[in-house]
Amino acid sequence: MLNRIGTLFAESRDLTLDRLQNDSLIIEVAYISTLCDESKVSDFILVPFTKQEHPFEDLVKRNPSFKRLDDPAKWGDTLLHGFVLLQLNGMVYKLDAARIIRNENPQTMVETVIMGPQISLSEDLIDSINIVRSRYPSEELAVEERTVGTISKTRMLLVYDKHRVDATVLGLIRAKLERISDPFYTATGELVRSLGDRYRLFPSMMVTERPDRVCSAIEDGKVIVLLQGSMFAIILPSTFFDFLHAVDDDYDSFWMTRAMITLRYFAVVLTITLPALYVAIMSYNPELFRVQLTFSIAGSRSAVPYPSFVEVFIMLFMIESLIEASVRLPKYIGSTATTVGGLILGQAAQQAGLVSSIMIIVTSVVAISNFVIPVNNMSTAIRFLKYPLIVPAIFFGISGVTFGVFCYLVYLADLRSFGKPYFRIFGRRQSQSSDVGQVGR
Amino acid sequence: MSRYFFYNVILVSLLNLMLFVPYLLIQYRYKGAIMSMLCAAIVGTALALLFMHVMKTFPGKGLPEILRLFMPKPLTIPILIVCAVMWLTASSITMYAFSVLINRFFNPDTSSLVVLVFMCLVCMYAATRSTLTVIFVLEVGLIVCVPIIVFLLFKAFNSPMLDWDAIRTVSHYWNRGPQVKPFAASLFVFTGYMNFFMFNRLNSPNFRLRFRWGTPIFCSLILLTSFFIPIGFHGTEGAADYLYIWSVTSDTLIMSYGFIERVIFVFLLMYLMLSLIFAMIGWHMGMEMIKSCLPEKKEAIDPARTPRSNWVIVGLFAVLTVAYAYWFNEKENLKITSHWIVLRACVEIVSVLFVFVLSLFGSGKRKKLVSHENTSHNAASPDGA
Repeated sequence: MLNRIGTLFAESRDLTLDRLQNDSLIIEVAYISTLCDESKVSDFILVPFTKQEHPFEDLVKRNPSFKRLDDPAKWGDTLLHGFVLLQLNGMVYKLDAARIIRNENPQTMVETVIMGPQISLSEDLIDSINIVRSRYPSEELAVEERTVGTISKTRMLLVYDKHRVDATVLGLIRAKLERISDPFYTATGELVRSLGDRYRLFPSMMVTERPDRVCSAIEDGKVIVLLQGSMFAIILPSTFFDFLHAVDDDYDSFWMTRAMITLRYFAVVLTITLPALYVAIMSYNPELFRVQLTFSIAGSRSAVPYPSFVEVFIMLFMIESLIEASVRLPKYIGSTATTVGGLILGQAAQQAGLVSSIMIIVTSVVAISNFVIPVNNMSTAIRFLKYPLIVPAIFFGISGVTFGVFCYLVYLADLRSFGKPYFRIFGRRQSQSSDVGQVGR
Repeated sequence: MSRYFFYNVILVSLLNLMLFVPYLLIQYRYKGAIMSMLCAAIVGTALALLFMHVMKTFPGKGLPEILRLFMPKPLTIPILIVCAVMWLTASSITMYAFSVLINRFFNPDTSSLVVLVFMCLVCMYAATRSTLTVIFVLEVGLIVCVPIIVFLLFKAFNSPMLDWDAIRTVSHYWNRGPQVKPFAASLFVFTGYMNFFMFNRLNSPNFRLRFRWGTPIFCSLILLTSFFIPIGFHGTEGAADYLYIWSVTSDTLIMSYGFIERVIFVFLLMYLMLSLIFAMIGWHMGMEMIKSCLPEKKEAIDPARTPRSNWVIVGLFAVLTVAYAYWFNEKENLKITSHWIVLRACVEIVSVLFVFVLSLFGSGKRKKLVSHENTSHNAASPDGA
């Protein structure tokens, strides 16, 4: 066995191949020392083997941690996942001794809530499953293991409630997982891209780090995908409305949370349409507003020498680079960037006559309302949507904006997330038998 | 689910303004408009009830499937094409009217033809979607627009400038005999149920229409509103002077608290949305009907991929619409519309009665059909197992 493994691997210092002998037996042990917990190797193999308190052969046979591995083709993969291979009397056994370096019990960073679980999923699958199982103690919880990536062979778990899950959705997900063939997966985002249509404008799968969101999704009959090495889980299928629903909405005061949900929808509409509306109203239909307002807008724009859409592009460029910079910069300089940028955007640009003061308000409203969306991947998707809408606004004014919004509506309604309608109001019904569209199925 | 039925009813009844219904009615205000409206309400309700019976007899079946049960395919083709043309013209006239409205009120510098081409592109995209998508868009659009329109109507009713005397004066002419044109025009308000010629495909076998009494009440209210409010604002004589009577009427209203002062902008934007939805549904109906004439496989209500035939047919619709707008001016459009609306009423009455008669014969046929389906299902299941 040792020779075979030796030829299988490239020159690597951490590959440990040992042949041991005691009074009666010769065993061969192979493992990659950097991937394994060496104390576990010595506890389970080396110490009992040399001490010989019990016959080692019986020990291996009785202990369920040792599993038979007969297929020599799997040796390489098994070693790379942190297993120890042990050959005894011509039979090969594997023992899980993996040591995974990960962040210990991380706090939620991306999707924070005030009152609610503060711990997030772990980068290690076993810890994540621990968290999920302890919050969802049901015998219906199914956990399927697979690997993705032709090179990375990343371990991946499908978690769902066997009773509540929609069988067609599960079948679609399995079929899609069979089909993907990218070599490498290190983050859930890559898996999201390969699972969905990468050109669609809206995310069809939710990426989250919150165990409470994961558990309520399982309870809704959704499927969770967990990936080794990433603390984010994928929830599928998801609808548009799930993305605008923060977990706090179930914890806090009823009326205030309903108000916040309404506010979020308004914010989404504003952040998408406001730049386009600015162009349309400035350049085509200033008579839309009441006279006093029109005058004050026109007055604030009087120093600006170019058409409104140039102004919009300048300001959107500034604000987008500001957001991008504050994400990319190290945490210590980040605040400096926002201060400097805010000063420039807020005062200097307007006094220099580059943009109107109304445009500054528009820009900040656009940016702030964008941050209201609770799930990050939806927030990023919505950030893009304002740009295509500016084009019809440039050519057709306010009616162009309406055409654009109509197109977005149709596009949203046309999306399906794993066969489920993505944008359907009042679509949550328990009995599906009397629903529309059930005939052709 | 019954709510989708009412969405169609509401949409079509609100959309009457775009098809010059109030204009035609007001032309006949001394010559029997009110009596015609009353007749239309009765006939329209009766037709709707008859059609509901059809829907109950053939759940999950669109017009092509129903016709196919009774006659060979070549015979169904002319019927389907006539129906498709009716829906196509309704949408195209709406779009043409709106492109002119945009030219009048929003962008006086943009040619209405250019706007129409852009509208056609947008509607081409929308109409080629699946039937299920179309009905979801309808739902969202109505939920956004209708509250605002209702608010505006409420404002109109509450306005101190509304002259109830004029309305009373016109209503004194209620005893004049009904006429064909105003009758046909007001019948349009009641035809929302006709969209279920195709949308019936979506209904599940246990579909039950609740609150069906709501249809005539709602439609009659809308009809009365769209006839009397302009008269109240412009007077008995002045109301007849305007072609786009409702745009002018909404421009008489003012919202004194808010960003937007003139009601017409809100009104037109809401109606632009509704018109786009209406055009989308109309083209989609026409497309599905023409598609069912093609020698093709079974229909799918929610295919994963848009078939190419969708694009070809709807592209043809768009070309026809633009050509129509290119060759006929506004005046001719008005004349054609007033004739078309009579033709449409005839087609509606004939087709609904025809389908109703089929459904009377159909109960026996349906039993046969169901039993046939059951046997084929039973035959298929051992194969599957």
